[in-house]
Amino acid sequence: MASIKFYFAIYVALLLLAVSKVVFMELLDYWAAVGGIMLSAAVKTGLIAGFYQHLVDEPRAVTWVVLMAVAAVLLLASAATFSIT
Amino acid sequence: MSEHGLPPKSSIKRWLVTTNHKDIGILYILTSLFFLIFGGTLALLIRLQLWTSGEFILSGSAFGQAVTAHGLVMVFFFLSPFAFGFANYIVPLQIGADDLAFPRLNALSYWLYLFAGLLFLISFFQGGSLEAGWTMYAPLNLPTYMPNPGASTVVGALLMFVASVTVSTINFVVTIHQMKADGLSLWNLPMFTWSILLTVWMMLIAFAALGAALLILGADHVLDTVYFTEVEGGSLLWAHLFWFFGHPEVYIVFFPALGVMLETFQTFTGRRLIGRKWVILAMILVTLQSFLVWMHHMFLTTINLEIKTLMMAMTIGISLPFDLIVFAMIYTLIKGRIRWTTPFLFNFGALVLFIIGGITGVFLGAIVLDYEFRGTYWVVAHFHYVMVAGGTALFGGLYYWWPKITGKMYDEYLGKMHFGAYFVGFNLLYFAMFMSWEMPRRVFTYHTGFEAYNQMATIGGFILGASFLIMFYNFYQSWYRGPVADGNPWEYSRTAEWATDSPPPLENWEGIPNYEKGFLEFVDRPEGLTDGGHGEDHHDRHPDHASIWPLTISLTTFIGLAGLMLWGEHIVYNTLFIVGLFATLVAAVGFAREDFYAPMPDWGARWPFEGIHKNKFGMWIFLASDIVIFGAFIGAYIFIRWGYGWEAWQTIPPEALPGLVNTFVLLTSSFTVILALVYAQRGNQKGLVASLIATFGLATLFLVIKSWEWNYLLPEAETLPEATIALFTFDWDPLIGTEGPALDASIQHSTYYVTTGLHAIHILIGMIALGYLAIRAYHGAYLDDEQPVENVGLYWHFVDIAWVFLFPLFYIL
Ligand code: HEM
Ligand SMILES: [Cu+2]
Repeated sequence: MASIKFYFAIYVALLLLAVSKVVFMELLDYWAAVGGIMLSAAVKTGLIAGFYQHLVDEPRAVTWVVLMAVAAVLLLASAATFSIT
Repeated sequence: MSEHGLPPKSSIKRWLVTTNHKDIGILYILTSLFFLIFGGTLALLIRLQLWTSGEFILSGSAFGQAVTAHGLVMVFFFLSPFAFGFANYIVPLQIGADDLAFPRLNALSYWLYLFAGLLFLISFFQGGSLEAGWTMYAPLNLPTYMPNPGASTVVGALLMFVASVTVSTINFVVTIHQMKADGLSLWNLPMFTWSILLTVWMMLIAFAALGAALLILGADHVLDTVYFTEVEGGSLLWAHLFWFFGHPEVYIVFFPALGVMLETFQTFTGRRLIGRKWVILAMILVTLQSFLVWMHHMFLTTINLEIKTLMMAMTIGISLPFDLIVFAMIYTLIKGRIRWTTPFLFNFGALVLFIIGGITGVFLGAIVLDYEFRGTYWVVAHFHYVMVAGGTALFGGLYYWWPKITGKMYDEYLGKMHFGAYFVGFNLLYFAMFMSWEMPRRVFTYHTGFEAYNQMATIGGFILGASFLIMFYNFYQSWYRGPVADGNPWEYSRTAEWATDSPPPLENWEGIPNYEKGFLEFVDRPEGLTDGGHGEDHHDRHPDHASIWPLTISLTTFIGLAGLMLWGEHIVYNTLFIVGLFATLVAAVGFAREDFYAPMPDWGARWPFEGIHKNKFGMWIFLASDIVIFGAFIGAYIFIRWGYGWEAWQTIPPEALPGLVNTFVLLTSSFTVILALVYAQRGNQKGLVASLIATFGLATLFLVIKSWEWNYLLPEAETLPEATIALFTFDWDPLIGTEGPALDASIQHSTYYVTTGLHAIHILIGMIALGYLAIRAYHGAYLDDEQPVENVGLYWHFVDIAWVFLFPLFYIL
């Protein structure tokens, strides 16, 4: 079990990443900002799932289950959206 | 005689409180047969109506309701639950377990299913049920276009059914992975268990998508949102969500039947399945591929040609592993020496029917041919040949396992008569539909040239229906007067359920099943231990088998949902909702507080899920399904916004700031909830209670900010400073005002409110859990077992992650 200090460091990182979303929107043009924001959302998710939900300590297969669910929704959203382009 | 706190089988009370997998299997089978009779009666009504063209015994609306209910009842309330009756009874026996991993959740699944079915039935008495076909295409599924009040109730019933399925999915995934007997590897699982394992993995993803679709549909019904009336793609959105579920669903109903076929072919030919490994691999492949073909149900919509072509190729692709499975079955039959018993006949018949159904499906998978076939009786014939082929195999399964479940033999002669009548009736009925393939489905006026075929089908339908009288008579005779069946009445059976008594004792085995030597043997239960040396802590405690809470929760949910779906129609419904909601809360606390002991084997939890406690594992499986639900909501938003024009879209919150503040609030609560876990592990009660309360407080703050934003900023869009002043001067009128947010103002409003509303409901549920933990922790709980704190934490972090995506999507982009 990791220390409180470690969890706090993650917390700070999460806050900074949250701010980064707004900053991207201010600084970059629209689609670059979309990319940046999604990237920082993905990193945040990785930090929370990996360390707060400590997926890193679970059997790897649990991570695969989660990724499978994520893959399913990415597939649904992208293929459906593509179908009407 | 009472069995470990469980009343005897002759007592009604036993069937209300039991959590034993065999009892619940029997309940599932009986209830599903009831729905078979109900759906079958509707079918005969439909067939009578179609005796001649035009209105005959049913009005147009009654015909529409009958067609819709027939489809939904047969697929959801008969076929799958029938299969899961066997899964409940047989799977634990086949893997050498005493019960499922979560016996109370198993009972909960059953009761949710039963009450969902009752809710469905009630819809007919509310002034018309749903009338949109089992596919419930938009916009016919909406009150604006089909104002039968009962239609909303059907949506609620299906939602409840999805809840039941989700609970049992979690249960079976955990059970099959973690409760296999010592030495039994995944590869060596019996084929029926394999088929159920793959079925539940498909269910996990597919039913979550259906759940999301129904939640959105429910919002359109109850909250008047405008998702599916949206001109730019509303009905396409429904088609995508439904068929993303719907195609896997056809395998979900078929796989258990396939498992029965594979099992009986081995038993009645005396041969091991030829190419067993390849069959398993092919089934795994089908499981994955089933999610890649859904748009072959949408060839006649406006989706683009590229994706149609891709889906056509994928559809051809999915028939390949199926070919392999079919050939392996045929080859096993050729190589073996067949014993023509009733279960074999039904399963052999199922194979023949399935091949016909599969081949005609390939026609439909070709875009050009489907332009011709779509919406005709060809489709109706096709899917009955495949789905009812599945049913046929399952009836074979009922004969096959009847001696195991009842300890009595049925009459072979009557069984064969049943099969004869069934098979003739089936083909008269459905082959006639292939012959009348130019006839449009779901309408009762047809070209008189089709009359002969329709009458042939109607006669076939009645023969098929009547054949079941033979079956019920046979089982009735057998139950009261049949010869006693011993543990293994089939000469060449090879799976573990035949290695114990018929019916098996409450905890299934005398000794402990063990496969370490490569075959099944029983090792002695350690001296002096009544529970057979189960792992974990309470060595002297006997497993529990009774709880009243599953039934109670289902009943209260039923009441609440019945009220919610017709909220505002009548004061009675409003009352029902409020009463049901609070009663459900109370029942849930009762469930949580009950001390129920369901042991896990200590050798369990092997690859690939070794070393993770069943509760945590179950939580992760639940979260996976929740990911799909949230993902489908977000996907729906992206889809609609794209159709609308991404950058032309008006973001609803005029300011990002409240959303950003809420992001900080939630992130902080994620930190405090992890602190709670650390303190629990360190045995620090003060720290634990304080961090739980802090998390609860932050969650409250989140909701306060949220409701302030909902009420002040929207839709009137007052200025931020004004709204803030109002909040802190307790000028809360608008907050509790009667106006309410304008969910139906536009599609932008609908998506924003519904998606963030779903999130807010998650927060509320989390708060209930956190509050419960805090109170228990205050009284000293969790210091020696921090698991509940950890599992609620997992959920809470997930709610945080959902916000990580909602915030940018709905506030800043
Ligand atoms: C080789 C395998 C299969 C292929 C290629 C196939 C193909 C198709 C296609 C393309 C359609 C859409 C037809 C249309 O609406 O125009 C369809 C409909 C349908 N199929 Fe299959 N199918 C196959 C196997 C199955 C199986 C195994 C089941 C169930 C056990 C099944 C159940 C259904 C159902 C229920 C529908 C009708 C949906 C509706 O009401 O519109 N199919 N099939
Ligand atoms: Cu399909």
